[in-house]
Amino acid sequence: MSDLSKLYPCGKIARRRFLYQSAAGFMGSALSSLWADEGKLMQDARLPGTPKAKSVIFLFMCGGVSHIDTFDPKDNKHAGKIMDAIGFGDNNAPMKRPVIPILRTFQQYGKSGIPVSDWFPNVGGTIDDIAVVRSMYCHQTNHFPAVLEGATGKPLRQFEHPCLGSWVSYALGTANKDLPTFVNMGRPSSPVQLSGGYLGSSYSATPFQPGDVPIPNLLPPKGSSSRQRDREMHALFEMDRQFRADYAIESEIAGRTRSFELAASMMMKAPAIVDFSTEPDHVKEMYGIGEKETDDFGRQLLLARRLSENGVRFIQICHAGGGNGAWDSHADMKAHAPLCRAVDKPISGLIRDLKQRGMLDSTLVVFTSEFGRTPWSQNTTGRDHNAMGFSTLLAGGGVKGGIIEGATDDVGYRAVDKPHYISDLQSTILKQMGLNYKKMDFVLNGRPFHLVEEGLGPIDAILS
Amino acid sequence: MRLFLPALFLLPLTSVLAADATKETVKEQFAKRAARLWSLQPVVKPAIPTGTPSKNPIDAFIAADYKAKGLVPVAKADKLTLLRRVYLDLIGIPPTPAEQDAFLADTAPDAYEKIVERLLENEQHGVRWSRYWLDVLRYADLDGLDGSVMPASAGIYLWREWLMTALNHDMPYDQFVRAQILGNRYRPETATSTSGRRTRVEGSAEDSFALGFLARAAVTRNDKDHDIPFAAVETVSTAFMGMTVGCAKCHDHKFDPITQQDFYAMKAIFDPLVLKNVMLATPAEIFSNGQKQDDFKKKSAPINAAIEALTEPFRNRLYNERIAQLTPEIQATIRKPERDRTPAEQKIFDDYYPVLRIDTDKIKEVMSKDEIAQYNALLKQQRAIVRPPGLASYSTIEEDADLLKQKSYVLTTGDITKPEKDHPVEPGFPFQPANMDFRDGRRQAFVEWLTASQNPLFARVAVNRIWGWHFGEGLQRVTSDFGLLGGKPSNPKLLDYLASEFISHDYSMKWLHRLIVTSDTYQLSSKVEPRQLTKNIAADARNTYLWHFRLQRLAAEPIWDSIHFAADDLDLTVGGKSFQLSAADQKQKIFLPKDGTTDTARTNRRGVYMVRGYIPSTDVMNNFLNSFDVDDGRTPCPVRTQTVTAPQALFTMNGDLVNQESEKLASVVLKESAGDVHQAVTAAYQRTLARKPSGTELDYALTYIEKNPDRMKELTWLLFNLDEFIYVR
Repeated sequence: MSDLSKLYPCGKIARRRFLYQSAAGFMGSALSSLWADEGKLMQDARLPGTPKAKSVIFLFMCGGVSHIDTFDPKDNKHAGKIMDAIGFGDNNAPMKRPVIPILRTFQQYGKSGIPVSDWFPNVGGTIDDIAVVRSMYCHQTNHFPAVLEGATGKPLRQFEHPCLGSWVSYALGTANKDLPTFVNMGRPSSPVQLSGGYLGSSYSATPFQPGDVPIPNLLPPKGSSSRQRDREMHALFEMDRQFRADYAIESEIAGRTRSFELAASMMMKAPAIVDFSTEPDHVKEMYGIGEKETDDFGRQLLLARRLSENGVRFIQICHAGGGNGAWDSHADMKAHAPLCRAVDKPISGLIRDLKQRGMLDSTLVVFTSEFGRTPWSQNTTGRDHNAMGFSTLLAGGGVKGGIIEGATDDVGYRAVDKPHYISDLQSTILKQMGLNYKKMDFVLNGRPFHLVEEGLGPIDAILS
Repeated sequence: MRLFLPALFLLPLTSVLAADATKETVKEQFAKRAARLWSLQPVVKPAIPTGTPSKNPIDAFIAADYKAKGLVPVAKADKLTLLRRVYLDLIGIPPTPAEQDAFLADTAPDAYEKIVERLLENEQHGVRWSRYWLDVLRYADLDGLDGSVMPASAGIYLWREWLMTALNHDMPYDQFVRAQILGNRYRPETATSTSGRRTRVEGSAEDSFALGFLARAAVTRNDKDHDIPFAAVETVSTAFMGMTVGCAKCHDHKFDPITQQDFYAMKAIFDPLVLKNVMLATPAEIFSNGQKQDDFKKKSAPINAAIEALTEPFRNRLYNERIAQLTPEIQATIRKPERDRTPAEQKIFDDYYPVLRIDTDKIKEVMSKDEIAQYNALLKQQRAIVRPPGLASYSTIEEDADLLKQKSYVLTTGDITKPEKDHPVEPGFPFQPANMDFRDGRRQAFVEWLTASQNPLFARVAVNRIWGWHFGEGLQRVTSDFGLLGGKPSNPKLLDYLASEFISHDYSMKWLHRLIVTSDTYQLSSKVEPRQLTKNIAADARNTYLWHFRLQRLAAEPIWDSIHFAADDLDLTVGGKSFQLSAADQKQKIFLPKDGTTDTARTNRRGVYMVRGYIPSTDVMNNFLNSFDVDDGRTPCPVRTQTVTAPQALFTMNGDLVNQESEKLASVVLKESAGDVHQAVTAAYQRTLARKPSGTELDYALTYIEKNPDRMKELTWLLFNLDEFIYVR
């Protein structure tokens, strides 16, 4: 029987109810999508063998990191030269723009000797665990469209396309019973980065944050005691008893019971996960927790590690989001400096920490932004958007460390050697999660939609 | 009045297709598809099956299915269950304790019918039912792409208000549709003056609010991207024809007899539409606003002049420095006076504008400390003079005379910059009869066909939608797709009976509501005793043939309303701007736009007024709406997802709102019962579950709170968390 949910123009229906009633029969056990644990929907898309990565920590720098000032050094021989440039945004007009000098110094790190700029000394220290893909590109040249493209694999939002994390939740389901499958921390550039779209709201990101209330409504407003909570839950159970007996036949009602159990276990579990008091000081120090500039991001990354340990599959962290994103340094490249300082130590801390715990092999860490920045300026000391070439870093989860993939041209404008469309990053992530991107589809109005519709597929050269 | 036959075999061969041999095959193939599709066959009113005691024809048709499938319906729901069901269904709020008592006391045989009549006359009926149409017609307060927000945003709530009013006045469905496409609910009337000049008679002024339906589609200034015609085809076809014409945007429809040519022909009907902003002000307001704008200008002029005098030398210096960095040719172009620039040169100038713009901070960088202080002081003064707000307005649409003369084309992959000049299209639409005459107006001709009683889709789609909203599922399950993929109706005769009677009853939606909710089928219990009904379950486990009422989870809005209503805290004002949650919603606190487009003052209004929409930079949808499956209004949503999730449980368990309303409800019931805890518990049950507690329940509740009035809020919290509270039995 075809899945009716796929026929609705808005792509949604009581999917859980329908599955239950058609597949499991009327009296079957409850099948519920509480935290999207029906990953069985995509059995066909599973790759054979054990997946390399159990979880992904996806670090998204909102606004566009300058690749040539960080991980893709160029010499300054073209500085001052007036180049044929394409203006960003609506104009996309050809114009002449002056190349501005790169003011960073680069140093070779580790056995691999990969050069990293003085803005990322700590990441440089872990470069032997990192693959640097220097030849990423996308089509959209302005923030929101490019963010949309990076999140959904589609340059236009003609439908409610779901984002990468939602596809992962949908395909794999949950690996734990107490926490969401897909979590977001930090303000994103756009809500599409959180959206389950036509896959359904069960697959949307659950907003999470370090601190006392990691999930909306997690705790009672006035902090009632756990004994009182127990008493209340018991009373609720008693008072629901008759109704639930009357409607035991309805799978939704069984789902309701579970939703309360899950909410309750989350209330128990989540506070423990955000409670860092069990972490030794030297670990917190690795993440830069307690230092003014790195504290925020450090806490988010430490929380990411703890969520990953607890079976959360996709942890997205958006850095400096809101509006165009703070990484959007048109006016002056100096604006990058504090942002780099804020993330450099935490990222290296995360990689070191995962490694010392033996978790790096099964945790894929990704560092990217919607696009890079141009070699030229708009007659300022900053750089414009560059969709034609930028860098993405990957570490762990079966990715080879200490290697460089692809290259941009002499000035760092265009990806020329082994160019990878943004979807190649998605298919790489999916592959490491044990998924065949080609078989992941969702039929909407009789038309199958895929996350990945363009590109060359997984970047195998960086996979071990 | 010309009559249109459902000319299924006269497929739209408007222009270029005829001679092409390969296209001929497509034509034949599509004609066959059309001939096979059930929904395109004429509606024929079937005879009512006999042998059923019920006087309601619905029951007769349903009983025929019972008989054929060997099903035995369950018993009728008890009085109070039914009362809550029909209240929540027709007005979206539960019955008060007094209304419950009165209904129980009324033993007249027509007690229920009287309730139904009263609810259909209640102005909250239109409020409740508007939300279904808002979903299908993709209402949104905000919608936008990169850097643009829908121009109709400010007055779009007036379209919602129009919908509510239309439903409350039982506007005939054909007029309801006509008004939203034409801005005139009446058939075109022309008047001939004594000099023989013929003019069209304008419709009712309020119907221009209805055009918010079309105006809402634009998401760029002046509808630069032609979103209106695209959205009109997609939404009009799914909502009123039950056909997914939108699928034919880039290619011929894969399943239904709709060609890509049809899509663009239908789009051509809407191509000449442009946005029109209409001011909503009295002459006195206009005069007074003009005065305020004058004052503002007068007050700010000297400060602006002082700022200009101070900054001009710096700006000029920086500007010249920047220009000096450009190539000589560009410099020359930029320095040319505007009137001497060719269009190409002007383009260069415009492209460089962002580069050459000198912002305040750049000026400050080159100023001395004293000058900065002086500049800051002036800027502060400038900010202190607040520009008076403009006059309220709303957006509607009108036909543009120039656009009307332009030819329409098939667009490659729907890209407006890629018209296929060798594939021009004339206005038209799928299943169009031969010799359509569009001279009296494209939309007019289309709407004549659409709303004609002979159109096999129009009434069928409407009655099926309304049926689905009452029962949780349409007779034809996929309510916006009457094409091949949508499947077939479970009870085609009933559907056709309702469609033809709907037409004979002048498309009265209230007539249809009345007929449905007074049927025995609607009044069945939702409770199923599995041991007794193994046979039914074996024959029809998913209850396609309605042998019991479907248990339904309340949608987000009635949950919101019921929580507030129970605590006497629901503001029932009909109409007005949308409201936005702020402090109450943790997620919105992060994302809340600070532009004052919405009302944050009264957040205890009905849920239908809660802001919905989508913009890339800001999360418009609040946490509550997201958790309870409300779409963002970007695409038509005929049926909402129904999930059961932990965030929903967390909302009722821990949300500020539920805690706050639990306290309010507790104090309301204690006050009413003058401290009598027995009575207070009973009242709390009545206000939340619309029934009194059983003896066991009362005992349990009293024991739980130890008969302590101070602990009443713990009980009310429990009631809001019960399954029974958010389900309709």
